[in-house]
Parts: sequence; C-alpha cells; structure tokens
Amino acid sequence: MKLEFDEEVEAFRSEFLEWLAVNRPPAEAIAADPPRSSAYIPEWAASFTKRMFDDGWLVPGWPSERGGRNAGPIETLVYLEELNKAGIPRTTNPQGLGIIAPSLLDYGTEEQIQNYAMPLLRGETAACLGMSEPDAGSDLANLKTRAVRDGDNFVITGQKVWTSGANYADFCFLFCRTDPDAPKHKGISIILMPMDTPGVTVRPLTEIISPEFPDLNEVFLDDVVLPASNVVGELNNGWAMANGSLAHERSMVWLMGVMGMESSMTELLGMAPDLLAPMSTVEQATAADAIAGLYIDTLAARCLGYRGFARYVKTGSAPEQALMKMYSTEIRRDLARVAAELCGPDSLETGLSRQGSVGSLDAYFTTFGLTISAGSSEIQRNIVAERVLGLPRG
Amino acid sequence: MDLELSDDQFELRDNIRSVLEGACPPSLVRSIYDGEGTSADLWKQMAELYWPALGVAEDAGGLGMGFVEVALLAEELGRAAAPGPLLAMVSQFIPLVETAGASEVLAAAVAGETIGALAYAEQGRWEPTAVTTTATRAGDGWTVTGAKDAVLAGATAEVFAVVARDGDQLGVFLVERGACSVTTKTLLDPGLELADVEFADSAAVVLLAPGPEAVAAIEAVTQQASVAMALHVIGTCRKIFEDTLEYAKVREQYDRVIGSFQALKHRFAELYLAVERANAVGYYAALAIEEDADSKDEAVHVAKAAAGDCQRLLAEDGLQLHGGIGYTWENDLHFLLKRAKSGDALCGSRAFHRARLAALLGLGEAA
Repeated sequence: MKLEFDEEVEAFRSEFLEWLAVNRPPAEAIAADPPRSSAYIPEWAASFTKRMFDDGWLVPGWPSERGGRNAGPIETLVYLEELNKAGIPRTTNPQGLGIIAPSLLDYGTEEQIQNYAMPLLRGETAACLGMSEPDAGSDLANLKTRAVRDGDNFVITGQKVWTSGANYADFCFLFCRTDPDAPKHKGISIILMPMDTPGVTVRPLTEIISPEFPDLNEVFLDDVVLPASNVVGELNNGWAMANGSLAHERSMVWLMGVMGMESSMTELLGMAPDLLAPMSTVEQATAADAIAGLYIDTLAARCLGYRGFARYVKTGSAPEQALMKMYSTEIRRDLARVAAELCGPDSLETGLSRQGSVGSLDAYFTTFGLTISAGSSEIQRNIVAERVLGLPRG
Repeated sequence: MDLELSDDQFELRDNIRSVLEGACPPSLVRSIYDGEGTSADLWKQMAELYWPALGVAEDAGGLGMGFVEVALLAEELGRAAAPGPLLAMVSQFIPLVETAGASEVLAAAVAGETIGALAYAEQGRWEPTAVTTTATRAGDGWTVTGAKDAVLAGATAEVFAVVARDGDQLGVFLVERGACSVTTKTLLDPGLELADVEFADSAAVVLLAPGPEAVAAIEAVTQQASVAMALHVIGTCRKIFEDTLEYAKVREQYDRVIGSFQALKHRFAELYLAVERANAVGYYAALAIEEDADSKDEAVHVAKAAAGDCQRLLAEDGLQLHGGIGYTWENDLHFLLKRAKSGDALCGSRAFHRARLAALLGLGEAA
C-alpha cells in the first residue's frame, strides 16, 4: 500500500500535461457549444479528438500501431483524471470511443475498421448503440428486432428505444436477432447501420429535464436493407461480443462515477458556507451532518475504486467493482438532492446552464439517467448478490 | 497510489487469523461471557508470538512493522471478538510509551510482562477539551486527581497512562494500579475489560511532560486508537456478514433457501457495500497515519464514522436475518453483535466523528 504514484507514472503525467497545455480546447469554446448529447460533436470537440488521436493521446492504452502509446492501466487512470481536472471532456461520443470503436478493432473486418472505426477516432463521425427495446431493457437478451437474410443483404424490422445520441449519430451499432429458433442469447448479431439508410426513423424522446436538448430516442426500423458485409464478427455471436464490448472500459468506468461524485462534492462544499450562514444552529447541524455523510461516501468510493483497480491490475478481477455502478450513481443522486434542498427556492430555476452541476432540481432529476441506465441499481444489486456473494438465482 | 494490501500483508493477516481460530475459538469467548474463563492464557500466547511488539520500532525491541499491520491485527481481533488487552496495548498504551521514549516501560509492555492502559476519556468524551483530571507537582514527582471512564483493558491493567491537565497544558502520567481505584461493571461485552478509574492525589510518574509535545503525542495516539478501533469493528462486522450470508444459503423456508429471495439479496448487497466501504476508508486512514500524510486528520474521522455506519447496518441486519436463532444465548452471533456495538461507543462514536469531520470541512465550529 502506498499513497503516491511511481516516478514513471508521474513522468507520464507530466508529459500529458505538457501536451494538454498546448493542445487543449479553449474553455470559451466548450462553454459556447457544450456537449449536449452523447453523439453531438461540436467543432472544438472534432478538432480536439483528431489532435488527440494523431498525437497518441486519444486511446493511450492501445498499442502504438492502433494510435495509442501502450500506456499501462495506471497511466491510463492518471490520464483520465488529468482530463477531468482540466474540465475537458475526453469525447462527446462516449459510446463511440469507449465501446464501438474498440469492438470494431477487435471483431471487425479491415474495411469496417477503415470505414467506421477510424472516422470515429478522428472525430469525424459519431455512433450510437442500438441495444434496448420496449421489451428488452434489463432483460436485454429478449430483444426482438429481426434481421432476415435476403441474398447478400439483411432486411431489418423492429424498434429500438432509449438509444442515446441516435438523433445525431452517423451510424448505429445495431443488435438484432438473426436466429429466432436459437436460445435467446445465441441468436443475436451486430450489424453496422448508417442512420441515413432508407427505413430508419428516429424520434427523439423529450426528457423531463432540458426538453430542448434530447439525447434519448426511439429508432424505428421498417424493412431496412443492409449488406451482409455490415455484420460485425461472427453471425449469431452478438451476445458474446456485447459482453466483450461492455467489458472494454469496465475496468475504468468506476473512475467516471468517482470523478462525478468528487466534482459535485467540491461544488457543494464551495456553496455550503453561504448556504449555512443564515440557518439556525440546529438546521446547520442537520445540513453539516448530511454533507459529512456524503463526504464519507465520496472518499469511500475513491478508496474502493482505487483498491479494486489495484486488485484488478494485479489479478484481473475485482469483485467489489460490481458495487461501484450502483454506489457511485446513487451517491451522485443523493449529493444532488442534498444540494438542491440546501438551495431552497433557488433550486427551482431551470436551464441548461446549470446542468451537470449541483444546486438545482434540474441537476437532481438528471442523476436518474445514471441510476436507471446501463443496468439499473436494482439489477446491480442482483448482480452483486448472485455473482459476487453467490446467492442462488430464484 | 496503491490501496491494496501487499502479499506480505495478506500473509500476515492469514497467519493472525489462523492463530486466533485455534487460540480464540467462540468457546473461549463464551467461557468469559459465562464468567468461567479468563483472557490470561490467550494474552500469554499473543505475547509469545510478539504481537504486542508488532508496530514498535526494531531499535526499541519491536518487530518494526507499520501502522497498516497494526490495523490488520486490530481487524482480526475484532473478527474473533477476542477478549483481553492486546487491542488496547498495540493501539493505545504501547505507541504512547514508545513516543515518550520510556524504554523500560516499553520493554515490559512489549514483552507482555506488564499490561498498561490509556486513561483518556472522561464523561464518555474522547477529546482533549473533556480532560479535567489534574496533575500537580509533589516533590520530585506528581500526583493525579480525577475520574476516567471506559478505559479499554482497564480491568486487567497494572499501570495506567493518564492524560491529565496542568493548567492549560495536557501531559501524560503513569499511575500504578495500586495507587488508584478501579471499578469494573457487568458489561455487554466482558472481553473488552473496560473499567472506570478514579485518581485521588494518586502518586504518578511523568511520561510526557505537560506541553505541546505531549499534546501532539496524545493527538497522534488517539488517532491511531480511533483507526484501530474502526478496523476492529469492521473485522467484527465482516464476520457477522459472512456468518449471516452463510446462514441465508442454508436456511430453507417455502422449499427454497431464504437467500434466493430478492428482498434478502438486495439487503445483502447493501451489507456487502457497508463492509467494503468501511474497510476501504479504514485502510486508507491507516495508510495515511503510517505515511503521516496531510489527509490523515480527515481520514481518521471518515474511518471511524464509516465503521459506525457499518456496525449499525450489520448488527441490525445480522440479527434480523438470522431470525430467532440469532436471538439465543446459545448461538455465537451475539458475541459479534456486542463487540460491534461496543466498538462504536469507544474512541469517539459515529456521531462524534461525523461532527469532527464536518468541522474540518468548514461546516461547523471546530472542536
């Protein structure tokens, strides 16, 4: 155990910070056109992504022939932390960079890599993940969108929902059923679908907060014809690849949650003195206790994350990582609630300017996007109980 | 930054655990609860294994391990709900005596020849401002007058390190058991050997002369004691967790094991989180103490408060999910429940440490 990083890691950090000082997008540019959807690419983001990729900083953990610099997991962690500290989003298309591009590099053909993955990595395109359906949410393997072979093509019919960024994406990494007779995990394939293919209809779902900037969509697929060469990897092997895809950045996902908690906590502590000043002693004590409790959670999440990460680096598995999704997202929700409650009537003002920061009920409601999506808290508890603690399914 | 224990540390933990499984089975704990046994033989074995010397510098006759290793020992003692003075010795008395450079007292303590206890809290308050016990010069020596409560290992201690006030300065004084009045009560957890100790012009030897150095030493040792007690509680809670989980995997109702019900699965996910959360910040605090990091003050309060959260949940659900069997004297579960609850009340409660943390965060008056 030790609190400091090794010298090589610090050298790596310095090298990145030097690069970042020269190449960072101007804060005013980010503020003028902020990330507003998981597939909308502002100009500053497109050029920053390209600079990062060209200089080996977009995917530092990848091998150099793929545009990385062979950075180890600890270096990658430091890299992500420094970007976060600098207030710079690594990408405005997280599913494209984190899941789709690496999956294509793992399973795709050379043509798919050149036509789909590389443009993503150069910031030229954005992609969405077509997974959830009306009857396939937590039970994802229950998806019903059909892809039927017709000569050299597949004809696709069905509906996706909760598709983040479909309204801005250039293509979709689409999960569909190619063998209806196989057990439900075995008949699923992944097909690359340009969003401008005839038969694709995207209907944004207006969300409860910031209705002017929707990110979630319904995607209707009516006899969409795609060449069989768009199938990624082996036919009917989509489920196994999905688990591979989702695992791609799983070892780092906790860090996003922790950094989100920490920035909310920093903001809350900054606001607290002014908010507490006019309160009675008893009210102050209640508020202080609530904040102290969340401070413990925030530090605990970092310690748990770091410890699990060290364990993962050493042994390749860290059971407590399964806790991190439910824990970090629920604490971010609680932080947003406590901050909003302390702000009183000021928390009622709405508007995008406050999104992502605490103190408004906008921010509070937004956190439900975290606790519901990507495996709800309830599913996470089942996973912990069954896969980590060995309690029987039932 | 690496918050995972090293291979050597895991090995040490496993060794301590297997020794305690043999030397401190629930039957020994039970014999003490039933008033038939004592911790004396266990203490002798621990001393023979040099456990009291674990965290003491090698040139002072110790094993030279760090505070993380002391924390590991505290955790394993909690797991066994071990009776006897070792926790008090390694996390309170010995570090204070070592800081003071009192080599003879230290040598006797490290060898297990003398049991010593820290007499600090008054009126249940674990903080310097609560100290009203006074120290007065008398000839070449000192006398001490005042009342201390809930002294860990006080029931068996032969000498007390008493925190006392000389004007507005705190110092630490050694008082022999024969020079004070020790009151033992019937306790929820007799293995902790708590006692109230009264001093009335008791003859004392100065260990740390009143002044800033003594204040710093008291602060340092109370931080170590708090974190060791936190890990002790966490060790107890992890055992409650494991036992309760095991029970849920074998106890059947409605023709299925009760652990297959989702209502219980979700409880178990919460319990697991509470234990891991407290464990992660507990060792973070131990490491911060070992490395004397700036984050130490905050980490200590976080660790003891999180241990408090942990024992709240684990003691409640551990008992509740065991059902009626856990409510019986015959089942061993209650030794753990009582140790976990007792540990929260000692070295500053959950509420105390949360309030101190809030003060450090600028959210209230500093203590």
